[in-house]
Formats: sequence, C-alpha cells, structure tokens
Amino acid sequence: MSAVPPPLPPPVPGAGTAVGAFGTGEARILERGYRRYDGPRLGRASSVRTVASHAIQRVLGIKRPAWAKVLPVVAIAIAYIPAIVFVGIVALTPNDPTVQQHVPTYGQYYAYIISAIALFVAIVAPEVLCPDRRTGMLGLYLASPLSRDTYLLGKALAVAAVLATVSIGPPFIMMIAFSVQGHGPVGPGDLVLTALRIIGAGAAITIFYTAMSLGISSLTDRKAFASAGIILALLVTAAVSGALQANGSPAYELLNLFHLPFDLAVAIHGGPSSGARLSVLAASGATLVWTLLFAAVARFRYAHLQVTR
Amino acid sequence: MADPATPASATATLPAGGDGAGSRPVVEGHALVKRWGSTSVLTGTDLTIGPGVTGLLGSNGAGKTTLLGMILGLSPPDSGELRVLGLDPTTAGPEVRARIGYSPEHHRLPADVRVHDFVRHIAEVHGLPKRAAINRASDVLWQVGLGEERFRPLGTMSTGQRQRAKLAQAIVHDPTLILLDEPTDGLDPVQRDDMLDLIRRVGRDFGIHVLLSSHLLEEVERVCDGVVILRDGVVAESGALSSLRGASRGLVVEVTGTNAQVEALIEAVRAAGAAVELDGTRLLVSAADAAADPDVLHDLVRDSVAAHDVGLLRLQARTTTLEDVFLGMDP
Repeated sequence: MSAVPPPLPPPVPGAGTAVGAFGTGEARILERGYRRYDGPRLGRASSVRTVASHAIQRVLGIKRPAWAKVLPVVAIAIAYIPAIVFVGIVALTPNDPTVQQHVPTYGQYYAYIISAIALFVAIVAPEVLCPDRRTGMLGLYLASPLSRDTYLLGKALAVAAVLATVSIGPPFIMMIAFSVQGHGPVGPGDLVLTALRIIGAGAAITIFYTAMSLGISSLTDRKAFASAGIILALLVTAAVSGALQANGSPAYELLNLFHLPFDLAVAIHGGPSSGARLSVLAASGATLVWTLLFAAVARFRYAHLQVTR
Repeated sequence: MADPATPASATATLPAGGDGAGSRPVVEGHALVKRWGSTSVLTGTDLTIGPGVTGLLGSNGAGKTTLLGMILGLSPPDSGELRVLGLDPTTAGPEVRARIGYSPEHHRLPADVRVHDFVRHIAEVHGLPKRAAINRASDVLWQVGLGEERFRPLGTMSTGQRQRAKLAQAIVHDPTLILLDEPTDGLDPVQRDDMLDLIRRVGRDFGIHVLLSSHLLEEVERVCDGVVILRDGVVAESGALSSLRGASRGLVVEVTGTNAQVEALIEAVRAAGAAVELDGTRLLVSAADAAADPDVLHDLVRDSVAAHDVGLLRLQARTTTLEDVFLGMDP
C-alpha cells in the first residue's frame, strides 16, 4: 500500500470553500441539530416494565462486571443442581425403587433449596432498592410518569421474577422431566393439579419473601445493611420461634419467617407441614398478614421519602 | 418570616420566550403554602412563570428545591393552588411529569452504568419505545457534547461531564419544560461557561422552557429571560429581567485630569441640574428628574467634559444589576 495519499480532486468553481479534505476520511458532522420527538409515548405500564426489566438485569449482573454475576449464578446453581441430580437418578435407575425412594416429593424439594432461596432473598431486594436512593436514581424515576406506588410495583415485580426462578423453576423442571420419564403425575388432570400446586407453592414463597425483603430494604439505603437485616430477621425469628415452641404452643411457628412460607408450600402440596403443627389456614393466614405488614412498611417508607434533594 | 395566615402577593409575569407573545404561563401558583414539620418553607405566595428561560433565585433554604418538588407533583402544597403546563401536579402528577425533564442538584449517579445506557433508560421510563430511546439517547448526548464519550461508565466521568449527562437525560424525551437544580454546581469557570451556553441553547434553539434554580446571580443574569426571587417563603421579586433591571439610572463616568479640572467639571454638571456622586475614581451622574431623557444627560456630560478639557476614559449607561435587585429587597 502506498504511503502517499491520492491527489485531491481540483476545486470546483463556485463550490465555495471546503472545510477539511473530501475523500481523506477526515470529514465530520459538526452540527447535528436538535430534533423534536413526535413518535409514540407508551403508557405507565411500559414505564413499570422498564423499571422491572432494568432491575432484573442489575440483579443478575447483566451488563455489569464479572463480580456482579457470581452470587446470582451460585444461587441459581444451588437451586437447580439438586433437581438435575434427582432427574438423573430417575433416568439412570428407572426400575429401582430403593434408589428412587430417596427422590423427594415436590413439596419436600424446598428443603434442598432453602439456602438458595435465602441467599437470593438476602441479595436481590437490597440490590434492587438501595442503590436507587444512594445514587439519586430514585429522584429521576419519580420525576417521570412513575408514581411512588408504580415505582415500588416495578421493583416488586423484578424481585418476584428473580425469586420465582428458584422457587418455581426447579420443581417445575422436575415435574416435566419425571412426566417424560413416566414417573410423574398420572393423567392430564393430575398433571394440571401438580403444576398448579407447584406454581401456588412457589408463588406463596415468592410473594412472602418479596414483601419481606422489600420492607426491610426500604429502611436503609445501604445494601450491606439491608442484606444483614434480612438474614438477621430470618435467623432471629427462627431462633425465637424455636425457643418459644420448645416451651409452649406450636402456634409460635407463625413467627418463624424462615420456615413459615415453606410450611405453607408443603401444605399446598398436600404433605405434612414441616412444623407439622400448623393448619393450612393458619399458615396461609400468617403468611398473608406478614406479607401485608412488610408491604405496608415499604409503601409507608417510600410515601414519605423526600427525593428532590 | 411572613405570617402564613396572610398570603403575600408577588406575581411574576414573564415575557414570552420560545412560544411567542401571549402564550400560556408554564407555571402558575396561588397562595401556595408548604411546611416541613414546624418549618414554613412557602408561606402563601403567588407565582407565575412564563415561557423561555427563567431563573429561580434564592439563598440556601429559601424554598427553591421545595418549589421544584411541588412542580413535579412529588410534594403537594399544604394549601393553595398550583398549575403546571395547565395541569394540577397534585392530581395529574404522571401526566405533568411526562412533559417535564428534571436534573437534580446532586452528582451521584450509578457509577458502573454507561452514560448511553443511563440516558436511554430514562427515555424508556418516560415512555419512549426502545428503538426511539436508543436513537434519542445518542442524539442528545451529541447535543450536550458527550457524543464521543457515550459508552463510558458514569463513574469515570468528571463533574462537568456528569452535569452534561444529567442535562441529556432531562431532555431525552423531548419535554416541554425542564427543571435544572444548580446545574453549574461543582464546575470550573470554563465548564460553567459551557454549561450556561448549553442551557441557553436548550431554551432558545431547542424550544424547551427552562426553570433554572440557582443561588448564583451572575449566571441567572447571563442566561435567563426572567427571574423569580424567593425570600422568606414568598416571591420577593419577579418579572422579566429587562424590567427588573429597569431603565438606565444615569451614567458612569471616568475622566482623567487635574483635581481642579475634575472639580470644575463636577460643579458644571451640578449647575446644569444633574446629581453627581463620587464612587472611588468614578463619577455617578444622574438626572434630578428621573423621567428626563437619558440622551440629554449624556450630551450634558459629553459637552462639559469637552468644555473643561478633561480626558474621558469611560462614559457608560448605569443599569441595575440583579445583585442590586437582590440586595435592594426589603429584608
């Protein structure tokens, strides 16, 4: 390739003064001008969806550095690996009832993934809620068509969607795989009922922990404090509830934020509650009360935040 | 602090800007009262902000940011009536905010987000479809001078660049009105000049009304068509900048010559009926009759200087600065 650039074309008479050299790759657009926007403007539902999808991306570490992807990947792996293992056991030993008796029911499966769900509960809502206050994004969100309630709705949808991947996804995959292998629900009716139970149990866990983690995260703008607060709430209520039950009524299980939604999930699947001392009505009632309480905390907190400073 | 029970009335009607004369006010408030706890921030003020670029002036704690929050519908007035772009922001907050852009005072922004993603996200939150949001984000980043930097994370940007990013996200959805809260805070003089020029362009060339909150008189004086000055919870002064400054208040004259020559000059001007004050090395000359033709005073000084053979260094109309207005307000 020659280092000498080709000669410029001769100037065209009357063409005026050229700025830069045509054909040398130096031409630049210096003034683009401001253009008005007269295209469609989507409604508030679109704004809520945008907030939710953006929050989901943040939580899962999408478009973020590698370190931000580690915890979500670990939590999802913990939730799904047992399901994959159990599906593999059934596939490899299709006619060995001795081995297959160790495969848990859909309700019992939550005992294997309780740590994954707790890990997600502790990291998701703080990541979704706290940085917006620290970075001032909350003020920008609320200066948009979003209201405080629709903002919280978008964030709650994001937390719920992420938690649902670990609370509904693994048992659902197990059910589909077992059905394909001939070890799942028998007949369409049973299949639909089992699917509804899986979705219902997962939804109960998801909604409860979404409200709880958002309620606690709304009290601070520091992620670490929020995560610590959530873990403390889980462990302390479990310890207190256990101590009270040892010397008193089993109804104290209703105070156990760690086990209560799983009690309900097991009950929905028709098996014995892990506490074995709560009725379905009591477990669902207590779960509803706690959920509403934490949701009210988050809503009250955000209703009174001064955001334009 | 004014008595909340007695609404102060100071109405500002600014000249038409981008919309042309006679267009509707952008913001109208009547008897606005706002308290934070036991502290009264706005104590019953009337306010009208017209089109164009308007400065919202006041010392720290005067209620500027509170008023911006009320305009956005984020903190409703305790009493009184407020209309923004013809709508009540308390009841129609989302509709009002869809037509407003807001640039907050703080510089904290998500550090690991690229500026293009940040601006695009705000556009989508304001309801623009994804493709349009991407295109608009690129366009406005070029407009504010961040076109080459659009893929840089916000955390790596200087304060000046972040101020531009905030301006870009405020205009990305093509609002009717933007609220800028201390947009030059933290900028060096060169960056400040650039930002003020940019704000002027937004107001004049882009056709977007601007409400610029600041405590810096000079920058408001430089870019704004009108001004609203808040003090003690009420609008203390307001109106078009040209009318606030008022007509010429006389002349500023600097001369060179012997003391005797200068004293003779002063005597001659006074003898002709004008008032003369000494202000350091300057003479402040004003007509005894405030309604007198300023050209007559100008001719009088010019002729007197020539008659007394005094060297003339400066002969300039003396106008009221915004600082004069601000300092001259009754406390």
